Amino acid sequence: MHPFTFVRAPDTDGAVSAASAGDAAFVAGGTNLVDLMRLGVMQPRRIVDVNGLPLADVEDAGGGIRIGALAKHTDVAYHALVRERFPLVADALLAGASPQLRNMASIGGNLLQRTRCPYFRDPGTPACNKRVPGSGCAAQAGYQRSHAVLGTSEHCIATHPSDLCVALAALDAIVHTRGPNGARAIAFGELHTLPADHPEREHVLAPGELVTHVELPAASARFAKASRYVKVRDRASFAFALASAAVALVMDGSVIKDARIALGGVATKPWRSHDAEQILVGHAADPALFARAANVALQPAHARNGNAFKVPLAQRTITRALILATGSSGSGGAP
Amino acid sequence: MKLIGDPIDRVDARRKVTGDADYAADTPVAHVAHAVIVTAGEALGRLGAIDFDEARAAPGVIAVITHHDALHLPKALQRDAKNPGERVLQLLQDDALLYNDQPIAVCVGETLEAAQHAASLVHASFRAERPVVGLEGALATAYKPHAAGPAGETDTARGDVDRALREAALRVDAIYTTPVENHHPMEPHATIAVWHGDDQLTLYDATQGIFGVRDRIAAVFELPKANVRVIDHFVGGGFGCKGAVWSHVALTAMAAKMLGRPVKLAITRPQMCSLVGHRPETRQRLTLACDREGALTAIRHEVFSETSRFDEFVEPSAVQTRMLYACPNVITQHRVVRLDIPTPTFQRAPGESTGTYALECAMDELAHAAAIDPLELRLRNYAELDLGEHKPFSSKSLRECYRRGAEAFGWAKRDPRPRSMRDGRALIGWGMATATYPARQRPSSAIARMTPDGRALVQAGTQDIGTGTYTIMTQIAADALGLPVDAVRFELGDTSFPETPISGGSMTASSTGSAVKAACKALVDKLANLASGDPVSPLYGIAPRDLIVQDGALVGREHHLRREPLASIVARSGQREISAQVRAEPRPDREQLSTHAFGADFVEVRVDPELGEIRIARAVGAFGCGRILNAKTARSQLIGGMVWGIGMALFEHTVRDPRNGRVVTRDLADYHVPVSGDVPDLDVIFVEEDDPHVNELGAKGIGEIGITGMPAAIANAIFHATGTRVRDLPITLDKLL
Amino acid sequence: MPALLGYGSPRVLAFVRAWSIDHADRAELRAIRAELRGLGASLTIVSDGGTWSFRPDDDAERTTAAVYPDHLEVPRDRDALFVLDADDHVRFSYDAGGSLAGTLGEALAAAGAAIAAKPRPTMYTRREWTLTCLVAGFALAVFPGCKPRARSRARAKEAHVPPPPSMTTTELDVNLRVNGEPRALRLDARASLLDTLRERLGLTGTKKGCDMGQCGACTVLVGGRRVLSCLTLAALADGQDVTTIEGLARGDQLHPLQQAFVAHDALQCGYCTPGQIMSAAGLLAEGHATTDDDLREQMSGNLCRCGAYPNIVAAIRSVKGGA
Repeated sequence: MHPFTFVRAPDTDGAVSAASAGDAAFVAGGTNLVDLMRLGVMQPRRIVDVNGLPLADVEDAGGGIRIGALAKHTDVAYHALVRERFPLVADALLAGASPQLRNMASIGGNLLQRTRCPYFRDPGTPACNKRVPGSGCAAQAGYQRSHAVLGTSEHCIATHPSDLCVALAALDAIVHTRGPNGARAIAFGELHTLPADHPEREHVLAPGELVTHVELPAASARFAKASRYVKVRDRASFAFALASAAVALVMDGSVIKDARIALGGVATKPWRSHDAEQILVGHAADPALFARAANVALQPAHARNGNAFKVPLAQRTITRALILATGSSGSGGAP
Repeated sequence: MKLIGDPIDRVDARRKVTGDADYAADTPVAHVAHAVIVTAGEALGRLGAIDFDEARAAPGVIAVITHHDALHLPKALQRDAKNPGERVLQLLQDDALLYNDQPIAVCVGETLEAAQHAASLVHASFRAERPVVGLEGALATAYKPHAAGPAGETDTARGDVDRALREAALRVDAIYTTPVENHHPMEPHATIAVWHGDDQLTLYDATQGIFGVRDRIAAVFELPKANVRVIDHFVGGGFGCKGAVWSHVALTAMAAKMLGRPVKLAITRPQMCSLVGHRPETRQRLTLACDREGALTAIRHEVFSETSRFDEFVEPSAVQTRMLYACPNVITQHRVVRLDIPTPTFQRAPGESTGTYALECAMDELAHAAAIDPLELRLRNYAELDLGEHKPFSSKSLRECYRRGAEAFGWAKRDPRPRSMRDGRALIGWGMATATYPARQRPSSAIARMTPDGRALVQAGTQDIGTGTYTIMTQIAADALGLPVDAVRFELGDTSFPETPISGGSMTASSTGSAVKAACKALVDKLANLASGDPVSPLYGIAPRDLIVQDGALVGREHHLRREPLASIVARSGQREISAQVRAEPRPDREQLSTHAFGADFVEVRVDPELGEIRIARAVGAFGCGRILNAKTARSQLIGGMVWGIGMALFEHTVRDPRNGRVVTRDLADYHVPVSGDVPDLDVIFVEEDDPHVNELGAKGIGEIGITGMPAAIANAIFHATGTRVRDLPITLDKLL
Repeated sequence: MPALLGYGSPRVLAFVRAWSIDHADRAELRAIRAELRGLGASLTIVSDGGTWSFRPDDDAERTTAAVYPDHLEVPRDRDALFVLDADDHVRFSYDAGGSLAGTLGEALAAAGAAIAAKPRPTMYTRREWTLTCLVAGFALAVFPGCKPRARSRARAKEAHVPPPPSMTTTELDVNLRVNGEPRALRLDARASLLDTLRERLGLTGTKKGCDMGQCGACTVLVGGRRVLSCLTLAALADGQDVTTIEGLARGDQLHPLQQAFVAHDALQCGYCTPGQIMSAAGLLAEGHATTDDDLREQMSGNLCRCGAYPNIVAAIRSVKGGA
């Protein structure tokens, strides 16, 4: 780990100004940053500790909720308001990582966590455009089992690893930030960028711009009764998703009045499929309909040899999540 | 008083649950310097320039050692071909690249942070060539090794396999593959080297074999063995990778010698994939034939496994096939392919784990083809004799294992048709397989000491890698001395104690247990002689052979009223202690017998028909392993083996990038081992055997048999659940979609 | 490359009139052994009760009867300690000003620190030279077979020893309360809580299994919650309560989880065990587990390569049920 100066931010403005100069990073839980610094993947010269800022509360916000960026995963996942209004968020949080990591990791940090692409995480592999822009992408012709089929480019196929973000994408969350140019609100779908020609850029935040809150709008609370997060992974627990789906529906009897579908584990950013949602809206819940929507969701997929299985897997994951959210068929949960 | 077999709590458990157990890296050493190994990013070719100026100038950095200034240690390249635990070492002696992640520098710092930072600042250039790192494309280069495993012949043949295949009513011919796997014990290898002067070395080293470390390091540094002392009181798991001596141990000693101060080096988790061996990839072709009644008429088992370009390790996957079934016509053969990879090594049940996987899956395929119940097929081919060695078994209770395992599992209720059993959405599959592992014994020694307070101290070099060595040796000694367990202390993990073999091959109980028992018996004999010849003793005049131990005293066999506490015999001797050291050898009658443990695993899997997710619902393992020395620790060990079988069947896979031979699955998030959520309660049944031939204790060893049947039992259950036969481990969900 | 004592096996000679192995406590012996390893040295303690020889990994042995060296310049009322290098030069002397009994570990630490800071004297003062000769002479009497070595050999090798490098990385003050004890530390900003516990505070019960948050072996409680100490910068734990496995028992009374892990054999090699137990302690405090499946899921952050999971679950279940 390279030496760095450690700065405790006294307040939000202080944090922003301390981190605005080059080569600085905020630290909250440190679960991702410290790991990547020790691996030599990230080498900030200054660490700005934001844990002293008053940004850890979960509050009612006119029927929605406002989650402080420093709130820990555990506290959000078990928070009564979250479980009542946005159970999808609680489920996604508890599907991720381990209890220890959930006790450490902040919500803000989760939004910006880096990919698990093994080539990105290993500085002994020279080619990684995300780590060293312009160096190439070892994964294009490498081991691709964990890699993305959606939103990829010839420069990067690294998967966004978050579970939480999949739920937030489905629920139209709003990300509030404070930066050198003041505060702003960013629609969740606008936060992350596709790799395209610049895989090193992963989000629209400016240097020194700090996530202060995540807002789950009141309008999304109507999905509480019919939402489901399904995560498919090799191990029963403590594993990143091979594919995951967050679905959120508004039902009128058996008819789907509104729908949200987001995918994880298969895309370079938390992936929302508006097209698949359109297939569902106005129709009666039915496995054949779900399969159609799932097909549409994966239409834009571009699979490589090593991850072609993710296309049918993601489709089936969507279908399963819809079946469970609507109680359409079958009995019991996942085996 | 019955001690052997009692499920007593581990005698070292308290130290382990309080954090007091001192593993190698926990040894307190003042002013110790910290070392980190820098490894290569290419696999084949030559090392170019190494830029280490920035590293040397970084704060807190003491040294960066490369092949330009490393100590010259020519013995690194030599290994005793007869010692399976020796490896050719890479000790920064030249610029040759042999495998990816080979050590190319050692950074030493005042603190670990400084050393790690320095390591990140070392930049090497390479003149690299494209390596060959996969078995599949290199089979044409296979060669025939001199032996398969420590004791096995490379090839065997009996009967006329070709003819039997021609005439068979049914045949199965399939290729099974098992991938590279890593041991990943929770404790990464670690070494602390302390030189006392320039020719006396103490190593605190995480190892399964302190004497192997002593001998290898003494050879490399050209020191007398007696000048090297190796200490390891607790080992945080080994599973084979700590059985050989690897480069980092010598590199630590080298750095300490060059710097004139103690050095500590713990290898990193990513380095655990490349610096300390792995289970080699295997490709096994199994051809089975049987008659209409399901009697096996032919078995052909051909094994290819990988080794490194510069050293040889052979995975003996076909060895158990020579004796497991009563088949008259059997061919087995082992071939090895040299690749640009680090040298593979023993991993829990080397040979038997990969080999029974292939053989027992093929048996399941044959049962399915013959429409015979898989268990029934095995019973019809039950081997009453070891036809490979032409010897009777010293004992064999496999039939009872099948019976009791099947009964506990409810096997009789199995519907043989694939995809026939469901629970809600989930497909249910039941599978079974046979487990087997040899019962070995090697010469070992121990010393038993008794002080005038009547307490015994028993010492043997040996190691406790989590198997319960501290505990069972204490029980064996207490039993032999007629003392309660808390009057006996057993010490291990120090080459200043009597020499013992490696903790591997499931032979510690057998080898060192026999030595402990013999040493304690010798001590009793000594005390009996003293008492018998001492007019002051109540036992005076009774022949020593007519004295027995009972509740801490010697008692006349015929004269129960005449007794003297052991303590008072020692006290009266006027010596500080009475001791007896013994080297125990395997019994000569073992040579005439085939000695194996056997077992049977029964598994229920649940498979999600759409998503392919596989979970183990329950499993029963019934094992005949001779005498069980501690029912509690033995059960734990067998469960542990079964959990390893789950990992091998479903998760474990070390992936190398074919372009540069670099391991891609470098950490425990990419290399999955089972977590708690993957493991249901597992049912272990002991089928106790009375086997006076295997050794003095009648114990066959239980460290490895637990893994051997499980991968096939799980694979067979998955076939039963889904109708899909996956022959390439691990069976991950993508292979079922 | 700075060497502590160069080549050749050094010896420590301590004159401690009131020392006895029976009165040395475990912590002191541990400290003595650590220092002897650091020096690569053996120790001879000359006391009124006899002469004890001590190597870092052996029991102390009483070697000779009392031979208190009245002919040396060691005052009878002030204990002293000397470090002799392989040439039998006194490299360090320590005048306790009083008794060294009970503080031998500290004296050795001072010796080790001084020698580490001052690699090798090239000149002796007249008094040091006299002392060297006297102590060396005594050493010859105490250590059988000991002969003064030729001086040139070791010296030549050490001719161009650079000064020890300075540590100029970013440091900061961190205050922790570890197992109830306040600890004020000056730390490298890069130091993890795990390395701080192990390497600075000697609390080696907390284990390093992966150093990347993937195994749980380093689990401790910070502020009562289970966290991974490998991914926690020590600076981030400033001002917090840290509980490690060493702090779980109440004196000799094991915590119920520790008892249950012993009784259920919920361990084999034991390396993951401190992390498992601390994680289980966190789990019980969280109170989100009701079924066995919950226990399995909520313990899945702690790998056990020995595969003790069923017993671990049984142990936690027994404590949960009994609570």
